[in-house]
Amino acid sequence: MKRLPLAAAAVLAAFTLAAPLFLERGTLNDVWSLAFAVILASAWNILGGFAGQVSLGYSAFLGIGAYTTVLLSLAGVNPFWTLAPGAVVAALFSVLIGLPAFRLRGPYFTIATIGVGEAVRVVASSVSFTGGSSGLRMPAGSFDFTLNYEAMAALAVATVAISAAVTRSAFGHALAAIKQDIDAAEALGVGSTRFKLGAHALSAALVALAGSLYAINFQYIAPSSVFDFRLSLAIVLAPIVGGVGTVAGPVLGAVVFSTLQIKLLSVPALRDSYLFIYGGLLILVMLYEPKGLVGLARRLLARVRRPPVLPPEAARAA
Amino acid sequence: MPPDPILSVRGLTKRFGGLTALHDLSFEVAAGEIFGVIGPNGAGKTTLFSCLVGAQAPTAGEVRFRGERMNGLSTNAVVRRGLARTHQIVRPFREMTVEENVSIGAHFGAGRRRGAEARRRVADVLERTGLARRARSLAGTLSIGDLKRLEIARALAAEPACLCLDEVMGGLNPSEIVSAMSLVRNIRDGGVTVLMIEHHVHAVAGVTDRILVLNFGEKIAEGPPRGVLSDPAVVTAYVGADDEEAAS
Amino acid sequence: MQDIAGVLVNTVISAALYATMAYGLAVIYGVMRIINLAHAGLMMLGAYATFALFTRFALDPFLSLLVVGPLFYLFGVVLYRLVVRRLPRSGATPSMESLLLLFGVWLVLQNFAYAVWGGDTQSILTAYTMKSVAVFGVRVGVPSLFVFLGSIVSLVFLNVVLKATFLGRAIRAVTQNRDAALLAGVDADRISATAFGLGTAFAGVAGGMLSSLYAFTPDFGRSFLLKAFCIIVLGGMESVTGVAAGAFVLAFLENALGAWTTLPTSLEDAASFTLLFVALVVFPQGLPGLAARLRTALR
Repeated sequence: MKRLPLAAAAVLAAFTLAAPLFLERGTLNDVWSLAFAVILASAWNILGGFAGQVSLGYSAFLGIGAYTTVLLSLAGVNPFWTLAPGAVVAALFSVLIGLPAFRLRGPYFTIATIGVGEAVRVVASSVSFTGGSSGLRMPAGSFDFTLNYEAMAALAVATVAISAAVTRSAFGHALAAIKQDIDAAEALGVGSTRFKLGAHALSAALVALAGSLYAINFQYIAPSSVFDFRLSLAIVLAPIVGGVGTVAGPVLGAVVFSTLQIKLLSVPALRDSYLFIYGGLLILVMLYEPKGLVGLARRLLARVRRPPVLPPEAARAA
Repeated sequence: MPPDPILSVRGLTKRFGGLTALHDLSFEVAAGEIFGVIGPNGAGKTTLFSCLVGAQAPTAGEVRFRGERMNGLSTNAVVRRGLARTHQIVRPFREMTVEENVSIGAHFGAGRRRGAEARRRVADVLERTGLARRARSLAGTLSIGDLKRLEIARALAAEPACLCLDEVMGGLNPSEIVSAMSLVRNIRDGGVTVLMIEHHVHAVAGVTDRILVLNFGEKIAEGPPRGVLSDPAVVTAYVGADDEEAAS
Repeated sequence: MQDIAGVLVNTVISAALYATMAYGLAVIYGVMRIINLAHAGLMMLGAYATFALFTRFALDPFLSLLVVGPLFYLFGVVLYRLVVRRLPRSGATPSMESLLLLFGVWLVLQNFAYAVWGGDTQSILTAYTMKSVAVFGVRVGVPSLFVFLGSIVSLVFLNVVLKATFLGRAIRAVTQNRDAALLAGVDADRISATAFGLGTAFAGVAGGMLSSLYAFTPDFGRSFLLKAFCIIVLGGMESVTGVAAGAFVLAFLENALGAWTTLPTSLEDAASFTLLFVALVVFPQGLPGLAARLRTALR
């Protein structure tokens, strides 16, 4: 039973990595977007899903990765050597923000992260070294899409593998304990702040890496592209719609969202109603299935497997 | 006063705004003792535990555990030094199994066990607390008696040198109380000093070596159960506060 | 370089508007322990409603508040009955589900505005938009003055409702001691509907007033939501005088920054978001909590 999803995941990963051999450029672009969405959703889920700390400020990390890459490249560094510095800066920034912000709980933390995200966006569009609102262009030079694709695909596979590893590790158990009852976790010796900071830094670094590859792929970044509202929404909504706190949920959510995105771009009537769709999905999930598509699938599966639902007393006796 | 205290509290005071929950409280607990803390509702018992493990910062006074000052340490740091607590209102991780709940204590408590060592610790604790048969159940499906056991099991898995039990017998029926009392003795016999808050005066008297009585945040008596419970001040405090409790 | 009088007059004027904006959030938080993220969308919708009344019926933007207020009250009650009530009852602390649900509502409202009015920047131009008068020797725009008056009227109205009506007293009771009030037989559902309606009405009215001062798009309202949130955090979430104090502090800091530093205007918002962050972290119980702590320390 446990082997099956693992094998499926391995096949999917191999297929994604080998895709340039048999997919044409247009389709490959779509898979690139999908991989990008998977990274953002799965990375966000490490803090937002596993540890239950819902942040609405993740575009800040995407921006840090993208801007670090472009700024260093403009200074003459080979673009692929800029990935690690971007991730490190994002992780450091996440700790800087997290130290005070993790003293806040639940929705208060969330509101604080909206403030951080907005502040970063406002600063990036007003100071001069980021090119202000007109943005920055990568230095002219050869750009290999296949290489970028492979990097993005490998990062997506790695991110999913990392989040699977987290759920099995003591670190992941600590995050789950923090999510369910932070005081009880503390009373068992879990250093909650340290673990939250760790989860924040790990996910920030992964998002920043994706941001760097994003910048290299588009060769141009501006606040309106990196901090695009649709993008920052998708970071949060994909894992929530897919199912927070699971490994498969964010991947599923990312598939739904990037398919939606592609459809949205091609059908004009849909393009003008993406907020209806996003907002409506969020409302539906919150009202009817807070565990998202994965939760829905589990409920359906359970119903198929054993039709009569045991009353609680019988379940306890069993 | 015990010659070799594992826990010593000096001048502990806790105020919430104008309300004084604990006033200039001092006592010592010897290693290997079962030490009871009783008192009417609102006497400051749970506040005392919160101050001991750093969940609340005392307004004044000092808590020393194995000679080390605990003031200012966060709860998780206190627990990792070997001073753990349970909660009066049980706080299980409902979406984890019993086993997983207990393993949190084994992983992150004073023992910081990993891998096979942690699994052994968890199995051992589950066996001692009688939860082995529910190891794979989700904590959210347990009965209240089992939830109380789980609360103790998790804290035990953290391998404390001193364990503070907050009303673990509340809400249990008489036969469950008897088995809880033997569990407490079993914990002490395993080398853990026990501090217990309890409403059931008779249960406390039957299991503790010494008792501290709190009323309105102040110590009104301390000593072996027999003497303390016949102390006129204690009787007055209990009868004055709640007839039912004195009878229970 | 502006003088103290200028900063103070402008501070008082913006503080009144900010308080109106923040009370909408505070009343809902106080009763339901819900952080209404849709507040931003409701302010935006208030701006467009005022705009629609102005362009269609040539109704003065400040007179239209008399229409927008009741209309938004009804809208809030409907929103509560249709959506918010269906959430599992949240306890003493706000739930993540309610926050995200109302985030969804905000997105839907934004899309509604895009569909009806398009994405272009709109503004309201009246005969007095560009006029100004002297107050204590400080030039103040006439719309700002009207906004100040409108805010004072709204706040007085709210105070009367809370003090003199049965539902208002119930709202205050639930806000101050939720469990006791609910045990005493206060109808939680009815009070929540009223509170949500009032909060929505205040968002609408605040948005209507903002439309006379700022240009707006369907994306409008986010920075004002953060400011409103900053105020109720500073104000201690549920205290009425606290909100007024929080509004004053934020307004003073903004005006002082604008007048006495060379910080570019575009970064002023970043300053208030930073203040929000600092306020949340340093004064979790807001100014009243800070005051209480100071009292304890001095004793």
